[in-house]
Amino acid sequence: MSDRLDQLEARIDELRAGVRRAMRVKDTATARALRAELRAAERSWDTLVTGGLDGSPRVPDGAPQGLVTVREQAHQALTLLGAPAQPRLIAAVGEAFLGGTLRGSQLTSLRRDEERSFASSPYGRPYYLCAALTDRLAPARGLLTVSTWPLERRMVGPLSPRVDFLTCAIAVARHLSPDPRAARLLARMARNIPGGAAGDLGPPDPDRVIEAAANELAVHAERDTRDRADLAERATSQLDDRARLFGGTTLITVAGAAATAANGGAPTGPPAGPYVLGAPDKGAGATAARTKTRNTPTRGRR
Amino acid sequence: MNRLDALRGTTPQKPHDARAIAALAANPGCARRALLDGAGIDKDAAARHLGFPAPFGQSPFAITRGNVFEALVKADGCAELLRMLRELLGLPIAEVAYHDVENVGAHLRHAHTRALFDRAARDGGDAGTVYDHPLLSLDIAGHTAYLEPDVVAFQLGGRFHIVEIKSFAVIDGQADPSAVAAAARQAAVYVLALRRMLRELGHDPLRVAHDVVLVCPENFANRPVASPLDVRRQLGVLERQLSRMTGLDRLLDGLPADLTFDLLPDEDGLPTRPAAELADALRGATARYAPDCLSACDLCFFCRDEARQEGATDLLGRHVRDELGGVASVGEALGLADGARDPAEGQEEIARLLRNAERLRRECLA
Repeated sequence: MSDRLDQLEARIDELRAGVRRAMRVKDTATARALRAELRAAERSWDTLVTGGLDGSPRVPDGAPQGLVTVREQAHQALTLLGAPAQPRLIAAVGEAFLGGTLRGSQLTSLRRDEERSFASSPYGRPYYLCAALTDRLAPARGLLTVSTWPLERRMVGPLSPRVDFLTCAIAVARHLSPDPRAARLLARMARNIPGGAAGDLGPPDPDRVIEAAANELAVHAERDTRDRADLAERATSQLDDRARLFGGTTLITVAGAAATAANGGAPTGPPAGPYVLGAPDKGAGATAARTKTRNTPTRGRR
Repeated sequence: MNRLDALRGTTPQKPHDARAIAALAANPGCARRALLDGAGIDKDAAARHLGFPAPFGQSPFAITRGNVFEALVKADGCAELLRMLRELLGLPIAEVAYHDVENVGAHLRHAHTRALFDRAARDGGDAGTVYDHPLLSLDIAGHTAYLEPDVVAFQLGGRFHIVEIKSFAVIDGQADPSAVAAAARQAAVYVLALRRMLRELGHDPLRVAHDVVLVCPENFANRPVASPLDVRRQLGVLERQLSRMTGLDRLLDGLPADLTFDLLPDEDGLPTRPAAELADALRGATARYAPDCLSACDLCFFCRDEARQEGATDLLGRHVRDELGGVASVGEALGLADGARDPAEGQEEIARLLRNAERLRRECLA
């Protein structure tokens, strides 16, 4: 909550300065509006500092959700989904079920902020929004998870993206509300599950989606559970607390250090993993990296 | 290759991307382009320095649109893509393994791609199905170009399929033919690169299907639809063109020994060479201008200007130029038509045709 309070305090200071400026130039209309805002901000500060200690902001139904932080909204959406998800899906769920105003782009820096917060005071928050881990125990690109989940759920094996998608579809179908946005989200997901959509028209039938998704899930479940358990075991034994939440040392630093140490020698593989470099091609590293940066403006990748 | 480096001079080499390699196949007869690309010269910088900047590169809106559409197709573990592959290629339900090669740092991505594809080709269906953003390489006249296809799909049938995601719409089963042709050329570059990689790894290169999967938005919505695209013809052209590039020596032999296309950049990378001198150097290598160049080559405006000054028949398009074989300029063709000029040896046939055409035109106008 303290970050929210900091935000409010900064806002209050800003408003006070604004009121003073407006009074100096005798712009009473602006000053009145600013003072009203100032009082509202002070009121929210009061409620937060006295009653908001339990950490759950009480937002009445249907009220504007401006006071629920992006972080909290993402947490709620992820809890509803119960699986690692991309910002896009989190935003869609937030909009459809939680009445939120989340946008996918707001989530991009979230993971880094959380990591920074964890580094300065480990386990200072009840939960962290953290990374999913790939088979090389590095953070997976563009996936968010919650630190309180079991480690297996936060692992990404080869089949996991599909399994997570099906899990999310089932969760969305279970929570289906009369909101048309929720129906639209479910329809979009149902289309991509064999037997999930009756036709292109009409709202999807949640029971049918759940059944279809469960059928496909049964095909993948065994191998995926095994993969994830292996990965989780490796993560437990090889990673420290921070890396377990936010991913192991990125390969760039490892290989970069190795390259400087060995003076241009073959970059070493990751600290963990069955992956062996066959014959690392000479100098491909630097050239590939350069090609990539050159390509970025034309391809415009994230 | 020293000769090529001399042509480039002190200007840093420009790496090729799939678009540039595909454009090579669009005009195989152009010696100027073959030399410039072979030496890795930044044609865009040269064209700007000459005062003929090309209206080139995609608009930022098109790039954003393309990225948004690609993200949509690949969202949630390629959910949309899997549906389309299941419908189009009959991909079995169990085949959903997804590898995001981009999770690996950029400098390891090529080696990682090789390892993944080696494993897939060896182990068969168990290794993986969809590879997101692999990094392939292709040797262009002694230089390695790195290429990044959108997705490579690997099916249980043991074949790799290149998936190309494009954001132009397929309306009622029809798409813009030039856009499809460009996509096919680009996909052919990826097919070729993947085939070469498999051959290097000791696998059958023909395990890369010549049918690529083109994913586009359908009709007026954003819903993606997949269609198969045969790129055998583009592959043939591309292979021929690339083998010609390795035989650049023949082209180089015809050039003066001290010729260079160097821009002589200063410390800030700004070219210092007089533009007229560079233009003269470029005219030393013959171009084969065609109006299609306007959509494929950075130097197009320079070559067009040159063709205009010479009154070359190239300006009228490939078809007309081929019909007027042996007649170099528009003025010459007109002279032959109204009889002001006597046909040289070998021009009798075309002169007769031109005179007939002129007579018909007069009759029509009279």
